[in-house]
Amino acid sequence: MLTTTADKDTASREGESQWAVETHGLTKRFKDNIAVDGVELLVPRGCAFGYLGPNGAGKTTLIRVLLGLTHADAGTMSLLGYPVPHQRDKALARMGAIVDEPRFHGHLTGRQNLQILAAAREVAARTRIDASLDRVGLIHRADDKVSKYSMGMRQRLGVAACLLGDPQLLILDEPMNGLDPAGMLDMREMIQSLVAEGRTVVLSSHLLDEVERTCDAVAIVDRGKVIRQGAISELLAGSAFELQIECSTPDRAGAILAGTQWGSGVRIDPNGLIVDLLAGTDRAVVAEINRLLVEAGLSVYRLQEMHASLESWFLEVTTRLGESQ
Amino acid sequence: MTTSTVTENSASEPVPSKTDGASNDHRGSWVPNGAMISSRFMELRKRSGLMIALIVVTIGIPTIFLTIRLVAHAVAPHSYGPAGGYDIFIALVAGVLYVFGFIVAATLGCTAGSIDLTEGMFRHLVVTGRSRLALYLARIPAGLAIIVPLVAVGFTIVCAVCVFAAPTQLKYDGVNVPVNLSRVGLENWAANHANEVICNFNFNFGVNQSSAKASSIPAVLNSVPCGNGPGHGGVIVTKGSGSPTQSKATPAQIREVAVMIARGDYSDYALQFLYPSNSLMIRTGLWIELEAIVGFIVGLGLGSLLGQRTVAVVLMLVLEIVLTPILSRVSIPHLINLQRSVVGLAVAHLEPSGLGFVFGGGGGPGGNNGTSQLVPESRAAAICVIIAWLVGWTALGAWRMMKRDA
Repeated sequence: MLTTTADKDTASREGESQWAVETHGLTKRFKDNIAVDGVELLVPRGCAFGYLGPNGAGKTTLIRVLLGLTHADAGTMSLLGYPVPHQRDKALARMGAIVDEPRFHGHLTGRQNLQILAAAREVAARTRIDASLDRVGLIHRADDKVSKYSMGMRQRLGVAACLLGDPQLLILDEPMNGLDPAGMLDMREMIQSLVAEGRTVVLSSHLLDEVERTCDAVAIVDRGKVIRQGAISELLAGSAFELQIECSTPDRAGAILAGTQWGSGVRIDPNGLIVDLLAGTDRAVVAEINRLLVEAGLSVYRLQEMHASLESWFLEVTTRLGESQ
Repeated sequence: MTTSTVTENSASEPVPSKTDGASNDHRGSWVPNGAMISSRFMELRKRSGLMIALIVVTIGIPTIFLTIRLVAHAVAPHSYGPAGGYDIFIALVAGVLYVFGFIVAATLGCTAGSIDLTEGMFRHLVVTGRSRLALYLARIPAGLAIIVPLVAVGFTIVCAVCVFAAPTQLKYDGVNVPVNLSRVGLENWAANHANEVICNFNFNFGVNQSSAKASSIPAVLNSVPCGNGPGHGGVIVTKGSGSPTQSKATPAQIREVAVMIARGDYSDYALQFLYPSNSLMIRTGLWIELEAIVGFIVGLGLGSLLGQRTVAVVLMLVLEIVLTPILSRVSIPHLINLQRSVVGLAVAHLEPSGLGFVFGGGGGPGGNNGTSQLVPESRAAAICVIIAWLVGWTALGAWRMMKRDA
């Protein structure tokens, strides 16, 4: 049964929680299929937060539950400190969201669509229409019918709709879909500027590269469960990395290192000699490897730590999870 | 699950966004605000295809019909009668405005009830935090603000033409007769136009006349030269009057029979008008608007309930064109109360008296005489049925909207 945190002294911290989004044991079932499985999610305020997962992982369902577009079967949740669904209207008044593909009335212009949405918000929202359109770069096409908009323009109109309420929290579901590279760059910069203003942006996506460039923290979701979450830098710091070595004779260098404690991770690929190192390996190890090679008479031109990208880390994490199941 | 601490850039002291008026905008209230209604009105009004269809049906068809009649009468007044008049009013109300008014209103209602969902706007609206009930209720005044004026304009055009282009003389049984005559006046007029009366008027009397008068009728019929032979083919049954005499009738006898015919026809004549009265037009207008409002509200609820427009419109058409006429006229004893709960029957029972048989029943020209064609239902019961339909479908549509996954 769904319970809210309303009973848990929330009155004193309504709207003041350090978490923009907080869920505990959130569960959503579709008959036998558990789309959201006991999700524990903590999204800090004032950051860009990536919600990552493969297709069908339950990302959009979680967002729909948070926004009240569908009901949860169990668990508690709060948005901006407001327990939902108990005080969802108060929370949503300070939020903006795009869920799935942004669709609007095609026979109306972008401005008219925003007028409809602004009318459902507070009075001040009606004065923000032009500013929102301007911010997403649609002001010059504001009076064109939405049916003539490209997918990217609709995405931007969706963001403009989010901005009508001057939101503290934005939840964007796959906002990069349909955008060309320039559009993606614009979107990324826009998200970063929103965060710079103190807003919180939750970005649901499967585009790992974009999330890595845009977000400060992520949660990885797979099969309805959040399996990792935290700051990207810390999460990646916890993963293995490789040391690329460019030297005069890679084969000989490989043979030298094979006899050391790092020998099991030595390999040669087109980029040169590679040594796989465990997460948390001290940088002194790099110096030690360099010393060994130089003392063996090799000329070392370059040593470079290659940390895992979010993509490789994501694949590593989700693959490991899949194997364990 | 592994959870690590997130570095909060500016999260420790986020800049609070200004939410001007957000705290007191009554977003959870079920009452829609004016801006919601006007924006919803705009959304419907901008559907050019739908609007054109609504205008063509409610305004275009009567306008075209009346224009053709006006032109035809102006060009060949002897071949084509006046464009307006009481009969044309009845025909247009019955043939166009009553049924088509309901259908276009239902179409608009089904559109308003389902289109946010099918076009993906519903979830945008829900995410604003506005009460779903308010979102639903905003559609009612917005839709009525479209359909009520449209029907009113179409009806006003019909009324204007029917009044201002009405015939100047009443044509009763093919004879030009002065309008608004009293019984005595009609009898006097008949005495002065005895031949026209005898040849053209219906004989609405039995033979319960004095035997002296009755005995003179055959002689009169034989004496009056009509184009289609003596009399106009009316059959007079006389009780024991014996064989008609072949003697020539005197002018006094002819006038006497004409007066007798006029007296018999007076009750029918008194219901003939050159054009509808102001009272009748107002009552008819309100009645047609009621039908349109019912169509819109039921369509809105059904559209919201089903979440799609096409099926809802088809169901409304079936209700109006198929089910209602059948259930209104064919009395099924075991289902009589079910039949009485059909909204179309209830509205038909509120048909203004003096309107004629617009819906195959209703008030009829003589007041409540015409209702005999319909399954009987009291006026109070009809009003209750209409209210139940309006409230019930609104509740159903709103409930579905509030519970629906967006």
